[in-house]
Order: sequence, then C-alpha cells, then structure tokens
Amino acid sequence: MANQTLAHSFRESPILRPSGLIVLAILTATVVILTATGSRITLSLLAQAAIISILALSVGFLARTADLISFGHAAPFGLGAYGTALLFQHGIPAEVGIWLVLVAVFALFFVIGLVVGKLNGIAFSMLTLALGQFFYVAISKLRAITSGADGLTVSLPRSLFGLPGRTYQTPDGMFIIASVILAALVILIYLFEASRTGRLAIGVRENEERVLFLGYRTKILKAAVFATSATIAGVSGVLFALYQGFVSPEIVHWSFSGNALIMVILGGSLAVWGPVAGALVFFFLREWLSDLTEHWLAVLGVILIAVTVAWPGGITGVAKVLRARISGRERNGGGK
Amino acid sequence: MSFLFRCENIGKTYGGVVALKDVSLTLESGQVHGLIGPNGAGKSTFIDVVSGRTPGLGRVFFEDREITGISPSAMRRAGISRSFQRTSIFPALTVREQIELANHGAGGGNTGELVEMLGLGAVLDTEAEQISYGQQRLVDLALALVGNPRVLLLDEPAAGLSAAESAVLSGHLEEIAERWNVAVLLVEHDMDVIFRVCKVLTVLASGRFLVQGPPADIRNNPAVIEAYFGSTA
Repeated sequence: MANQTLAHSFRESPILRPSGLIVLAILTATVVILTATGSRITLSLLAQAAIISILALSVGFLARTADLISFGHAAPFGLGAYGTALLFQHGIPAEVGIWLVLVAVFALFFVIGLVVGKLNGIAFSMLTLALGQFFYVAISKLRAITSGADGLTVSLPRSLFGLPGRTYQTPDGMFIIASVILAALVILIYLFEASRTGRLAIGVRENEERVLFLGYRTKILKAAVFATSATIAGVSGVLFALYQGFVSPEIVHWSFSGNALIMVILGGSLAVWGPVAGALVFFFLREWLSDLTEHWLAVLGVILIAVTVAWPGGITGVAKVLRARISGRERNGGGK
Repeated sequence: MSFLFRCENIGKTYGGVVALKDVSLTLESGQVHGLIGPNGAGKSTFIDVVSGRTPGLGRVFFEDREITGISPSAMRRAGISRSFQRTSIFPALTVREQIELANHGAGGGNTGELVEMLGLGAVLDTEAEQISYGQQRLVDLALALVGNPRVLLLDEPAAGLSAAESAVLSGHLEEIAERWNVAVLLVEHDMDVIFRVCKVLTVLASGRFLVQGPPADIRNNPAVIEAYFGSTA
C-alpha cells in the first residue's frame, strides 16, 4: 500500500457526509420556521438558549478534545461580555473592539494553558474553578472599571457587522445570529477533528506519552486547544452582552460555569453537538420546571443524577446506542 | 570502535532503592541485542532511562554524539524510537489515522512498506479498539517503526501474544533488523523470541550487569541460570 493511498483515505468528517448535511438543512428550516411562527417569549428563550449553547459547546469541546473538565469557563464568557461593554463605552469601533476582545481572550488563555498544561483530571478542574473565581472577585472589586455589582450597560452602535444595532437585541434577530454562529462553530469543530491537527489532539487526549515518543511537542497544542475553547466561550459572552445590553458579575460566578457543565452532562460529549442539545434541554426543562415548582433546582438535580447514572454519555450516548442498534438491525436484515 | 548507539553507566534510584546501577551496552546496526533478566532486574527501567522517559544516571551516545537528557520528541526525530511494555496506541483512531499521525511526527517514510510487512492492510480503516490484541501489538510496533528509525528500543513486544503470534513477531523483528539495518534493543521474557532473533544478549540481575555474550553461551551460563532459578543445581 502506498503512502499516497494513506494520505487520500482520511476518515471523512460527519458534517461532510450526506446525513450531516441533511441534519444541517433540517436545523436551518427549523430556525426559519420558529423565527416566522414563534411567540416573542419562545423566541427570547431560544435566543438565550442559542447563546448559552455556544458556551456549552466550548466546555464540551474541551471535554471532548482534551478530556478536561472546566469549572471556570464563565471567566472567558465574562471577559468576552465585559470586554465588549468596556470597549463600546470607550468609543472603539465596534467590530474592531469585538475582534480585539476575542484575540485578547485567546492570548490570555493560551498563556494560562501553557502554565496549566501539565495538569489533568481533578487538579485541572479545581484550578479552573479557582481561576474563574479569581476573575469573579476581580470584576466585582474593580469598581472603577467594571462598576462592581452594579454592572455595566452595553451601548450598542448604530450598526454592527452590517446589521442595525437594534437587531442584536431583538429575540428573532439574535436567535438567527446566534444560531448561524453556533452552526458555523459546530461545523468548524467537526472539520478540526477531521484534520491532522484534530487527530493529533485526539492522540494527545488518549495517549500523550506516545505522541511525545512519536516526535511531537504537545505543550503548544494543548494550550491552543484550551485557548480555542475559551475563545468560543468568549464569543458566547460577546453575544450575551449584545443581546442583554447589560453585564454584571453573576455571569462570571462559578455557578454559571456549573450550568454550562450541567448542559454538557445532559447532552454528553460523545458528539460535537451533544452540549448544544444539552443546553436546549436545560433551558426548556428549566422553564417548564420553574412553572411547576419553586423547587425546580432540586428537581433538576434529581434529573441530573438520573442521567449521570442511567446514561453516562448523556443524549449523545443514547443516540450512539440507538444508532448501533439500528445499524445492527440493518446488518442482520441485510444478511438474511 | 564506533557504535551506532552507546549507553554508559546507566543507573536509576527510587527513593534510596537502587533499581539499576552502572549498566552499559552498545547497539550495532542490523543487529538485535537482547536485554534479559528475571522480574525486577531493571530491564524496562533501563529503556525508560535511556529513552528519556524517566530521569536517571549515565550517558547516552548516538553516532558518537551525546544525547543524554534530550526530550522524547527530540530523540524520536533524531532516529531513536521505542515501544512500551503495555500496548501504547490510540484506541479511538483508525489504524490508518494513527500510522499517518506517526508518519507526520517522525518526518515521513515507510508507511506503505510497513503496513504490508506487518499485514495490517485489512484493518487499516478499523478503529484500533476494535481489532485483536495481536493486531494491536503490531500497530504498536508499526508506530515505533514509522519514519525509518535507526535505533529501536522494544519493551516486551511479545507480551500477551500466543506462541504463533510470537513466532510471526520474531520474523518481523529479524526482517526489521536485517532488511532495514535497524539497531534493535529487545527486552523480552519470551525466550523463544529472544533465542531466535538476538545476536547478542546482556543479562541483568537485581539492577546490575551480570553477563554479556552470544545466546548460545548465555543459555548455559551458570550465573544466568542461578539468577533465574536461584541455584545452578
């Protein structure tokens, strides 16, 4: 077998397969239909769900690509949101400001990634928790810059990336914008995983020592994965700031990171889309449960325990089992 | 005399316990050099120290250049490769993907020939966790061999294999050394493999050098028999 054959036979990304494109088309149609027919409350909920789905996606990306569980992704989310609010206040061109914020988040978390790169498991999780709380305290205490607990108002420009500023604060407008960005990020992550660098990242996740003895240096890659994940959380924070028009320290608190983690547990990280599904379930479950009882958090906790015990892989785990059963049945049927 | 790979006075101490002391050996191109000894003799520790996996004492030379203390990735790029006692592959990647990954890391080379020699063609597009243990060991060997290394340090490659699979592996090791002119250091408990493929044996006991020589001499050496069985009787 020639090297050429090897090079040309990479496993295709699921997003490039016909089934992936069909799912994408169905989701696009769903967004269009919901935008056209949904009530303002439903659309508002969907807009928030789409924004927070991006945060969950970032936590899931780190869990899936590096097997690292972050308890501190509210930090890059909050930095994205506060960075947007602050730069808009200081009259920096909006588009430039947003890119600056995202580049700064990437750079900061790349450096942090270089420092914490050797940690994994519970040590990494605890460090991210501490880091997240550091940013929470810093944002709460730096009143001169952040207004502390009073929060900051986001002054939207007249126009942003070719759209009227107001569009970003309407439920239907933000639902579409966040959905498009979410879909783009999901596709990019799928394509990353199918790339050589993506496979190297999976190799590091599975057996870093072997990767080192194959001639690779892993430190930069691990830091880049961590920084990319943080930047995705930063994108979510930017959208949050644009939609809500207001940011306060609560969005940097560890409990906000905890919610993102709950979404990842509900959705699972066996597939890229898992955390997104988890975020949607979380939002609608929360709405439904909070209508039923004021003790909705306790009920959610019980559901979370049940999911963790019964379906450790979350929604993606259930999907994987179902897919295996269906394909097994097809094979058996085909064999008759 | 100039050797391809030379290790001098390799040693390792764990919290005051001497695991390995002053072990030296040399490897020549095209030759399989066996490193044997009872459990706890320090064979794997030797490979770990020499390959930079574990810090230790002593000096390592490759083509008369000292490479003591260089990182595992630098060592691989220099042409020195190793395998591990436990299968060390990437379960979620297909055989093709991991060989391709190794090929890129090691600087390109011999993947097609390797796949053909090891008989991995039929499982190339199968995830490594789905193939048999024997095939996984071959994938492990393939990962170590990609990129035409000059020196190959193998830590019990036949562990867990059946007699038939070990025989196949022995054939591969002979071919690797002779056809590809690789210097191989083989740590192995399977004496059938050792006596079939090794031209020189170094025996360790309790972390110390015991004896070195051709397999025929080592087989009947009273000191070796005593090290393994506790008595020459």
